[in-house]
Amino acid sequence: MTQAVNDRPGSGVLPRVGRWLAGPIPVSVVLALVVGAVFMLVAGVDPISGYRAMVSGSFGTGMGIANTLGRAIPIIGIGIGIALAFRAGIINLGTEGQAVLGALAGGFVAVYMPGPGPLVALCAMVTGVLAGAAWGLLAALLQNSLGVPILLATLLLNYPARYFSSWVIRFQLKDPSTDLVASKQIDPGVQLTALVPAGPAAEAVRRTFGPMSPVTMILTQVNWSLVIVAVLVIGAIFVNRRTRYGFEAGLAGQNPEFTRYGGVKPGPLVLRTMALSGGIAGLIGVLIVIGAPNTRMIEGHIVQTNYAWTALLVTLLALYRPLGVAIAGLFFGAIIVGSEAMGRDLGLSPQIAAVIQALVIILLAYRVALPRFRRKRQVAASEDPPEPEPQRPAAPAAVAAPAASAPTAETTETGGER
Amino acid sequence: MNLLAMFDQDLVASVLRSLIPILLAALGGMICERVGIFNIGLEGILLIGTFTGVAVSYGTHSWILGSLAAMVAGMLFSMILGYGAVYRKGDPIVLAVAMNILAVGMTSFLLLAIFHVQGVFKDPKIDGIPTWRIPGLADIPGIGPLFSLTPIGYLALLLVPVLWVVLFRTPVGLRLRGVGERPLAAATLGVNPQRYQLLAVLASGALAGLGGAQLALGNVVQFTENMSAGRGWIAVVVVMLARAHPVGVLGAALLFGFADAIGFRLQSFGLPQQLTDAGPYIVTLVVLILMSRRFKQTRAAQLA
Repeated sequence: MTQAVNDRPGSGVLPRVGRWLAGPIPVSVVLALVVGAVFMLVAGVDPISGYRAMVSGSFGTGMGIANTLGRAIPIIGIGIGIALAFRAGIINLGTEGQAVLGALAGGFVAVYMPGPGPLVALCAMVTGVLAGAAWGLLAALLQNSLGVPILLATLLLNYPARYFSSWVIRFQLKDPSTDLVASKQIDPGVQLTALVPAGPAAEAVRRTFGPMSPVTMILTQVNWSLVIVAVLVIGAIFVNRRTRYGFEAGLAGQNPEFTRYGGVKPGPLVLRTMALSGGIAGLIGVLIVIGAPNTRMIEGHIVQTNYAWTALLVTLLALYRPLGVAIAGLFFGAIIVGSEAMGRDLGLSPQIAAVIQALVIILLAYRVALPRFRRKRQVAASEDPPEPEPQRPAAPAAVAAPAASAPTAETTETGGER
Repeated sequence: MNLLAMFDQDLVASVLRSLIPILLAALGGMICERVGIFNIGLEGILLIGTFTGVAVSYGTHSWILGSLAAMVAGMLFSMILGYGAVYRKGDPIVLAVAMNILAVGMTSFLLLAIFHVQGVFKDPKIDGIPTWRIPGLADIPGIGPLFSLTPIGYLALLLVPVLWVVLFRTPVGLRLRGVGERPLAAATLGVNPQRYQLLAVLASGALAGLGGAQLALGNVVQFTENMSAGRGWIAVVVVMLARAHPVGVLGAALLFGFADAIGFRLQSFGLPQQLTDAGPYIVTLVVLILMSRRFKQTRAAQLA
């Protein structure tokens, strides 16, 4: 539906951009920032200097840009995992647990496996993928064979993963030589280094681009997970558009009944999707552990940074499209880094980032847009016959798609007061 | 260690302490479920309730005003879901997920902005909810703790039969259920489904907000960042397990209160906190698995 609206023949690029700007996403973002300003006023801070600190902290300097990218990488990666599941109509709220276990299993391999560095790193990543996929598969099996709703299964499995991991790190792997509750250090040869590792090459980059320029900062501060996640994004686009699995998954997300009639078995699809989604989350968990500047498994690292839940918001903002996840992930990464900078400068809580991000999603679900656009949308909507939404209130039928969960849609159609 | 020593009066009291906030939130979720709105925002509403309760009790030195404010704040916060899902046709899951994150962000932000602390806010000026001991009854061995609860605790337990009567023996309850089960039929008979849905969400906000007040002013007298710690999610599971029936909700909530309390006990026997903390969630999962036949039946009924 949204697609149809966006692709309506516009009379050129500018009107189309204008229409997009008046649409739900930009308007939601602006309104969320306005509400964020109200929160700053409550805290006794002038919003203009607040947002100025936020922008300069996230995009103003080379360091800020590198930090934003570094923060966005795990968010985008986990976001891709969530997007693949949501696109297939499977609500995977368990990427946190999947990433935590991936980090634990992969980190264990990275710390203790002997051998040449790159090989160990590769084994660590494979182990992480397997652990994350196994945790995802467990939820899928619970739904398929026992009928436990996957939303609850994935969500509840987060907690044992979280507590188990922190128990293992605190009581079994704790390195007594550090004040952190963390494992031993990972061998430098196993670590994912910065794109240009410290040394003569980094010096050359510094001389060529200047010591503080964005290019230098990105090349010397951001590690190789950037490339891995970029490959993930492209891979997800390819899977969605070009493979049979991607087609079936997309169809299942839109209309499970039809897909079943089309001969696609829902059970195996759920298994495959959850293995994929959990595997990606597990991979990102490992990347967080072995990617510079991190050198250890730290208790609560993935939970406290809230990567998985931010990634969920990012996925909802991007309407499950991989490229959209990448863009939205950069945006939310910038909000987080900017909020931390603002918090340091002005003595505020960096949690303002969560407030703004959540508000964006809430307003987007309200489908707020400038009035003119709405009228057009309604015309467009009335031209299409309403999509019959099957009786699955759990289907995350797109934030912006008009089809809401079954009872709500039906009641409005039957003409209660509007 | 002596396992039998764990089952004593204190355990009953401890079960009740864990039970009340979950029960209140789950009763709210149950009402929403009855009108066909899947409310997984209980976790966020609980947290908003804890913060508002503590903040207002600190400002006014009155636990009554604190609890009332927690209720009102819960209702206002639940409007995000109510208005969005009922009148804007937003996806309730999306809205509720965002609400939960918003609640964590808002409370932590305001904690630093208003009280200039991070992590924990504790102050003698916060007026905690008193325990009302019913003389005589409170001394009965075994079930004594049942008669020395906070007023909110009594209210929560009373609400179970009250809501049962309202749901199954009054016209309001009939309409409520009708809106959830056959919205079309309800609308034909002159019931405005949207109004009932909104009211149900508001009621869940009030109840979960009150649960938050009990958590932060009754169980302890302090606010901790993210202190709802998954209780709202457990309430969601309770509603599903109980298939939105008040008595079932009480039973399922009791089970989790029990798992929670046993976890605390095991800690005092030297088990690490990390493992006992996972207890309630594992119990939840196991129960979900054991009850799976019910889900299958419900599903089959839905498809039919």
